[in-house]
Amino acid sequence: MSKRPLLSVRDLHKAYGKRDAKFEALRGISLDIYEGESVAIIGKSGSGKSTLMHLLALLDKPTEGTIKLSGKDTSKLRQRKLNELRNKEFGFVFQSFFMNSNDTVLNNVILPLKIAGIGYRERRRRAMEALKVVELDDKAKNKANDLSGGQKQRVCIARAIVNNPKIVFADEPTGNLDSATGERIEKLLFGLNEKKGITLIIVTHDQDLADKCNRQIHIADGKIFEESIREDFDGDGDNDGMRDQNNIHHIDIEEED
Amino acid sequence: MKILDIIKDANANLLRNKLRSFLTILAIFIGSFSIISTSAIQAGVNNFIDSQVDSYGGEGYLAVVSKDSFDALEGLQGAMGSGNKEPIEYNPDKIQTGMSPITEEQIEKLKKIEGIDGDSMVEQKTLSITYVTSEKTDKKYLISAEALPPGNVNVDVVAGDQLDLRADEYQIQLEQKYVDALGYTNENIVGEKIQLVVLDEYTHVEKTFDAKVVGVIAPGVVSMGQQYTNNKLADDIYDENTKYYPDEVKNQTFAVAVNFDFEKYSADDIKEKLEDIGLSGMTVEDIIGTIKTFFDVILTVFKIFGFIALLAAAIGIINTLFMSVQERTREIGLDKALGMSSHHVFMSFSLEAISLGFWGSVFGITVSMILGNLVNAAFHAEGGFLEAFPTFNLATYTIPDIISVTILIMIIAFLAGTLPARRASHKNPIDALRYE
Repeated sequence: MSKRPLLSVRDLHKAYGKRDAKFEALRGISLDIYEGESVAIIGKSGSGKSTLMHLLALLDKPTEGTIKLSGKDTSKLRQRKLNELRNKEFGFVFQSFFMNSNDTVLNNVILPLKIAGIGYRERRRRAMEALKVVELDDKAKNKANDLSGGQKQRVCIARAIVNNPKIVFADEPTGNLDSATGERIEKLLFGLNEKKGITLIIVTHDQDLADKCNRQIHIADGKIFEESIREDFDGDGDNDGMRDQNNIHHIDIEEED
Repeated sequence: MKILDIIKDANANLLRNKLRSFLTILAIFIGSFSIISTSAIQAGVNNFIDSQVDSYGGEGYLAVVSKDSFDALEGLQGAMGSGNKEPIEYNPDKIQTGMSPITEEQIEKLKKIEGIDGDSMVEQKTLSITYVTSEKTDKKYLISAEALPPGNVNVDVVAGDQLDLRADEYQIQLEQKYVDALGYTNENIVGEKIQLVVLDEYTHVEKTFDAKVVGVIAPGVVSMGQQYTNNKLADDIYDENTKYYPDEVKNQTFAVAVNFDFEKYSADDIKEKLEDIGLSGMTVEDIIGTIKTFFDVILTVFKIFGFIALLAAAIGIINTLFMSVQERTREIGLDKALGMSSHHVFMSFSLEAISLGFWGSVFGITVSMILGNLVNAAFHAEGGFLEAFPTFNLATYTIPDIISVTILIMIIAFLAGTLPARRASHKNPIDALRYE
């Protein structure tokens, strides 16, 4: 594949604490993630998989190593630009949802747009669209607290895609759900990956979920010890997510002055 | 994020824990209520005193007597035991009892003192009027009147207008009690003529002065019991009173009133210069100053209490917001993960603090204004404490006072909020999301 990777990581280290209490969560990770891929970062708890996701999602800074987004070194970006990138180009789905439970479903979905400073009408319209994708538009006015776990996670997915992001990070998205509901969430996520070409990065310890991704990156003790690519991916050039390459716009991370 | 959205969210967050917000606002309310109330009373008292000062002669007014008369007055007060002064020793070289006249020479010197407007000088003549009556009544009443003091005098009137001092007709301003007694109302007496009668003590012939009523004087503390006339009426009545006096006596002056340039010269400077020529001056402030000082001291004490209450309220704000930051740690983490800047997090908590301050001061001011107006109405009602002073509003709310108190409290609230707001804005999104 000659294409430039969307995310390119080289020799990533992350340490917490100082001196004796120093703990190295990541010890030299290098990987490339291409547009339209679905990547599972799999590992046991304490393996460093969540730390890796936080670094990839620009929520935290590495102790050593570089993270390039669309070829640009993110360590050179200002905090404001990083905030803007997370807001406009990334979507987040968390295991324990993280919703404002006293607020309405609609307001929860609107949050990223509100942070982006988008006007009232426009953000309502876009939030309703996102809710339609997860088939919860009829619950828009309900309180988030009154929803079931599966519905809550669907709201979170709506919130993750409301900004039309390039990448959705999902941290154990089915961890708190029973298997039937979990399957529905998985379908939704992979559907977004295939139909909309959204790059999916899933952090999980669930091998079944990881098997559904194009690529699996196994992490243990802060290192990659195994990487596997699914046979049917990239084989016939027929992958839905990769189909419409001309329409995929590149993330613009130019610093504006 | 849009500023309007941040303001809306800040207020929505306050509503999330209604009781806690309410109690914090209540604390601010107490502070703002006491500060605005004392400001209102201060404004009310000052307004009243200013209007009194104006009607007595204004800031530039100076009543001048000879130094001997002044000492005699003090001596008399000492002898009468009013004031805590020691008895004054007799001195055969001084006239220590009764008034001593101001000499021609002193008057000439007085007129030349720098800062004193010599042309404004008016001799203060005691007018002796036997009685007053009108066409609408058979009754005759005793009355005391004097020429209006010089300067920018603005008598507090409830009806009619100011006197034309240089008018060639007889003009008078009456107190309200005479309006009723003479068979008129405030509305219909203005422009009417009343009769001032002076009895010739020797021939028992009455001489009548028909004086036009130009205004009705509002009751006050300074001018109590005094009616004001223009110069022509005062001069003519005085001439009638003194027509049998020898010229030396007739022309004797005991007291004069002058105007001085109060913008350029301090009253103390002028008074010192008067001392040099053996005269004593008194400003209106000297005459009624003690009342003002008394009110100022009491009100300052209340204001200090108000600020102490505000200080306690500020600690309440800090406490409330710290709890709020703690409770919303995960929410802050999510906001930051989704791209909200630290600056906006800081702003949203600061705006919460400012909103608490704003609502506290709005409630404080509203309640104070309602109570203030009720108190004003009650005091002015029949039998009320201020029934005799219809122009004196105890509580006077001015727009600058209201705005400055509100802004002051919002600033205090903002400062109190910076501590918790800083803590919130420094939260790391990952740690905040992990927080249980």
